[in-house]
Amino acid sequence: MNSQRVLNGVVGVLIALIIGAIIMLVQGYNPILTYQALFQYSLFGWYPFATTLKNAVPLVLSGLSAAMAFASGVVNLGQPGQLVMGALLATIGGLYLDLPPELMIPGLALLAMIGGVLWAGVAALLRQWFEMSEFIVTLMLNMIADYFTVWAITYPFKDASAYSPMTPQINPKGWLPLIGDFNTTIFFMIGAVVVMWFFFNRWKAGYEWRITGQNSLFARLGGCDIQKNFMGVMLLTGALAGLAGGLVVMAGPHRFIKGLGANYAWDGVMIAIVANNGLIATFLYGVFFSAIQTGALGMELITDVPSEIAQVLQAILVLVIVASREYLNATLEKVAARRRARIRQT
Amino acid sequence: MKAFIGLINGMISGATPILLAALGGVFTYYAGVFNIAMEGMMLVGAFFAVLGSYFLGSWLWGIGLAIFGSLALALIFILFAVGLKTDEFVTGIALNLFALGITTYLLRQIFKVKGVFSNPGIIPIPAIKIPLIENIPVLGKILSGQNLMVYIAILITWLSYFLIFRTRFGLRLRAAGYNAARLDSSGVSSAWMRVWSLLICGVFCGLAGAFLSLGYVNLFAENMSAGRGWISLAAIILVNGHPLGVALISLLFGFSDGLGLLLQGYQAPAQFTAMVPYLATLIALYFYAVRAKEKRIR
Repeated sequence: MNSQRVLNGVVGVLIALIIGAIIMLVQGYNPILTYQALFQYSLFGWYPFATTLKNAVPLVLSGLSAAMAFASGVVNLGQPGQLVMGALLATIGGLYLDLPPELMIPGLALLAMIGGVLWAGVAALLRQWFEMSEFIVTLMLNMIADYFTVWAITYPFKDASAYSPMTPQINPKGWLPLIGDFNTTIFFMIGAVVVMWFFFNRWKAGYEWRITGQNSLFARLGGCDIQKNFMGVMLLTGALAGLAGGLVVMAGPHRFIKGLGANYAWDGVMIAIVANNGLIATFLYGVFFSAIQTGALGMELITDVPSEIAQVLQAILVLVIVASREYLNATLEKVAARRRARIRQT
Repeated sequence: MKAFIGLINGMISGATPILLAALGGVFTYYAGVFNIAMEGMMLVGAFFAVLGSYFLGSWLWGIGLAIFGSLALALIFILFAVGLKTDEFVTGIALNLFALGITTYLLRQIFKVKGVFSNPGIIPIPAIKIPLIENIPVLGKILSGQNLMVYIAILITWLSYFLIFRTRFGLRLRAAGYNAARLDSSGVSSAWMRVWSLLICGVFCGLAGAFLSLGYVNLFAENMSAGRGWISLAAIILVNGHPLGVALISLLFGFSDGLGLLLQGYQAPAQFTAMVPYLATLIALYFYAVRAKEKRIR
């Protein structure tokens, strides 16, 4: 089963890369040189690899958030909103707090999680009180959070000396330090993956969530508190998305710039889908997607291909991997059914 | 009075793209397709509308290319969701992101700009002046002089209603969503009904996109559909897919759009006025949820 999943991923990636190559050929670019540049700037060498890992942090964290939510049967699509709210709260903390780094960094990370929890909590409460479906509610809250954070960095928290909307830099004590080429933000990512994996696969609450996602009636009859679990899933996944936003601020620009959230959270949702809500797979695909995005920027420097091709490649990857997985599963099922029928005949 | 007319006209032009996309979604809703790709189809439509209008020199070409682009996306949806039986939700999300990626990429590739492409060479869809009616005070300023696409949208609303509830095609369409196995056993392929519904959705979303970039404004901006596809999905869910209900809800959202513009005149920060349509959606969902709950208790 596991080897089948790996095979499926590898085949899917290869097909997607070939389709991407065809698109480049049609446009008159050399695909081999392009891919070479792409991976040279993202994987080969310590510095490119370190950058890829750093850029993977928001992707993996929002991907974990989406994967855990989907696997638990909760359609939390609010990662974009939760991410920017987390980033905003961490930035505000970084502007006004002044603690030694060993307190400041965890403090800001906590604030970021609180930001995500609060925003996810709005959607969770609306569902709890009024039974409003979290699917559209979280989508609408994304737009609202987006406008709200732009307002916050345009008026109350604006850097007076800047021309475009952004906050001043946060207190340097809240900056995540570097170890060689590697930014320490990646430890948060690895830590989150490990903790979440144990939580989801080894703890009782994680088991209840997964069962609820697979069959909520069975879970309810088995004695799970569905309402409480829903609340837990929303808040925890909100915290993960919020943390992603906070880490972007603390590792990268050290301030909240307009457009900070970029497409991280939506990419995270895609990654979770590609990974079929598996947590380890989310991590691996997250790093791979990050490699494409990071490499695309370098590729633009030495080839004529615009870096936006990364977005196109990603969408093709998602469609091809998911379609080939479901197609493969359907085919295998058909084969198995035929075999069963044959056994019954004899 | 002038502010009032401005508000009404703002409401109408705000409602039009949502209405057109939602009507497309109504067909897939009845056919039992969980289609969330309206957002992406609209965005691609908006881009191709500008492409056609700018290079081929006519808004008619713009509309034509918009429909073409949006249909192309619908065909990908069909290939994956109907052909390869990929999860519809997954296909929709991936297609929306694909639309965002491909339009951003092509914007850079063809027009050599990032963010926004605006040029006097983009020929907008004209407004239509209706003789006689335009001379009526107040009403004339609302009924006449709207963008051509507004009238088309009204026409399409009735057409959709007629198609879905008064024709054999509509009956089969609804049957495909209601009980696909039954429809199949009666000799009509439910898969083909889903294909047709998606194609219709592609055409309508193309029109919605063309209105966005050649009517509502006269430019293309990255991600300019800005959640309208999601709002149209909410509109469909709120009225259980009835075309006339969708029209009413779209007007409501259009009103909040116009209201936002009006409030901006009173020095409210633009970011807060821009939130109004999304807040309105949340409020509408609240009333829907309350009503659904009451029904269940009864």
